[in-house]
Amino acid sequence: MTTLGFTLHHSQLYAGFELRRLWLTRRGLKTLAATTMIWFFLLRYAIAPASELIANDGFQQFFRSIFGDSGLTQLFAWPAPELAVYWAVSLLLLPLFSLFFTANQLCSDIERGTLRFLALRSSRLSIVLGRFSGQMLVQSCLILLSLAATLSLAMWREGGISLAVLSAALVIAVNLFIVLLPFTALMSCFSALVRSSRLAVSLAIVSLGLLFAMLSWFVFYFPDFLFLLGYLPGTQVLQLLPLQGWQTLQHAVLPLVQTIVLLGLATVILKRKML
Amino acid sequence: MNAIVQCQALTKSYGSKQVLKQLSFELEKGDVAALIGPNGAGKTTLFSILCGYLKPDSGSVSLLGHRAGSDALFGKVSALPQDAQFDPAFSIGEQLDFFGRLQGLSNKAARAETLRVLALVELSEQVQHKAGALSHGMRKRAAIAQAFIGQPELVLLDEPTAGLDPVNALHIRQLISRLSGDVSFMISSHNIFELEQLCNKVLYLEHGQLQTQASGETDSQQQYLTLQLEQDDAAAVTQSLSQLPGLVSINASQKKELVLCYSVQQNTDFDLAVLQCLAANGWRYRNLTKGQTLEQKLFKAV
Repeated sequence: MTTLGFTLHHSQLYAGFELRRLWLTRRGLKTLAATTMIWFFLLRYAIAPASELIANDGFQQFFRSIFGDSGLTQLFAWPAPELAVYWAVSLLLLPLFSLFFTANQLCSDIERGTLRFLALRSSRLSIVLGRFSGQMLVQSCLILLSLAATLSLAMWREGGISLAVLSAALVIAVNLFIVLLPFTALMSCFSALVRSSRLAVSLAIVSLGLLFAMLSWFVFYFPDFLFLLGYLPGTQVLQLLPLQGWQTLQHAVLPLVQTIVLLGLATVILKRKML
Repeated sequence: MNAIVQCQALTKSYGSKQVLKQLSFELEKGDVAALIGPNGAGKTTLFSILCGYLKPDSGSVSLLGHRAGSDALFGKVSALPQDAQFDPAFSIGEQLDFFGRLQGLSNKAARAETLRVLALVELSEQVQHKAGALSHGMRKRAAIAQAFIGQPELVLLDEPTAGLDPVNALHIRQLISRLSGDVSFMISSHNIFELEQLCNKVLYLEHGQLQTQASGETDSQQQYLTLQLEQDDAAAVTQSLSQLPGLVSINASQKKELVLCYSVQQNTDFDLAVLQCLAANGWRYRNLTKGQTLEQKLFKAV
């Protein structure tokens, strides 16, 4: 097997192991239970009532009279109002959840010394890629579960489910996956850098905040560089919000490039780290 | 060339503190080498460099012809790293299976390998248990077990018997002894008597420098006997033994213990002469050992 082959094989093994951590360990099951609770409350007390409101023609006319035909009114065009609310809620909340959820990709293993066992058997690139892929798989499971719950809600209200709704759900799942990529890769970097997941989250929030503040200050004095703000992770979320269908993928390039750069950085950090 | 470990002018510093200073040594295939030294001598740093956990500031390290940490060494070099712990979320068996899979084994082969290595350290019954449910000694043995997964050519063990009860420490020593020859070992330990039993080569590290590089080979011209007496008659015994032909020197290494250096050419039956002298004077002895202990070799000057 070639070096690339070994890297991919090992990454796949690591990703599978992370998936087992979600479904077969006590800690993973607690995560599932917590996610279920959060989404139950979101569905019961936010998405369901909001969907009923959005489905109401009177509310749509009222909304248009206030905001005009701005991008936000495009939310009414989703084939099911539940998906429209899910789209808006998850686009805004999941990146933040992701920072917390994926903070422990490497730091506990570094602190505990478990990584020393692994580093004797696989490259540090495989470890970074594998853990990252594992976290993406785990988040995909959680997205699919919450999306399935939202679809159930729509089905219960409509009394059935159309192909258009299923297609829209697929668009949402793919887009959320892409949106979470750079945030998960960012946490790969911070979890390789420090020895505690709390510190990794704190560093990520402070770094993103500082970066945004510094860029804003810079742009204030040099307005020609306004475009730089568009390169921050997650800035495409606001552009995605009014979109729907596969046209949303026009904003996929930036997060993919950010992910590759951040994973490269995480690998360099881990390679330079004393285990 | 049979050198499996080659270190050339290895240097490592942490800040202003230089931990390894121009360290050079070689280990041959089949060697069981002991790495000895006081706390802070640089043993764990050297182990970390050999395992690829740490990069030296300068110098070169080669294991089995590849640089330390190279992909080519996966599965060929294994180690018991100091203080490394298993993941508390998974059972020992699941983790060893996973290590086996990383080393290229199929699911079935990895499980068989897990059971084999756990049996080596007498932990077969703990395969389903998580690390948190095991005692410190059991966790240590499980960590030793992971070092024997597959067919490693070189095994680096950092303090393998520290924290183990005497029976399990003996089992680990027997295991190393049984596997030596097919597998090369480098063992770091403070237990000098254990290393003496296991190792054919000794690297004594102090202040980041190699102070002594001793091997099991002895000088054919001069040999040693270590005599342990039952009573504290060392002064009288020394006086009598000094008369024996072939004696080069006699030193009291500690109370009731004498180290005799003699010339084989002058007296081939020197050990018999010593016994006859003791018998003639009615001095009882506890032990007469050929050669010097490792402790005596290393700390002659102390």
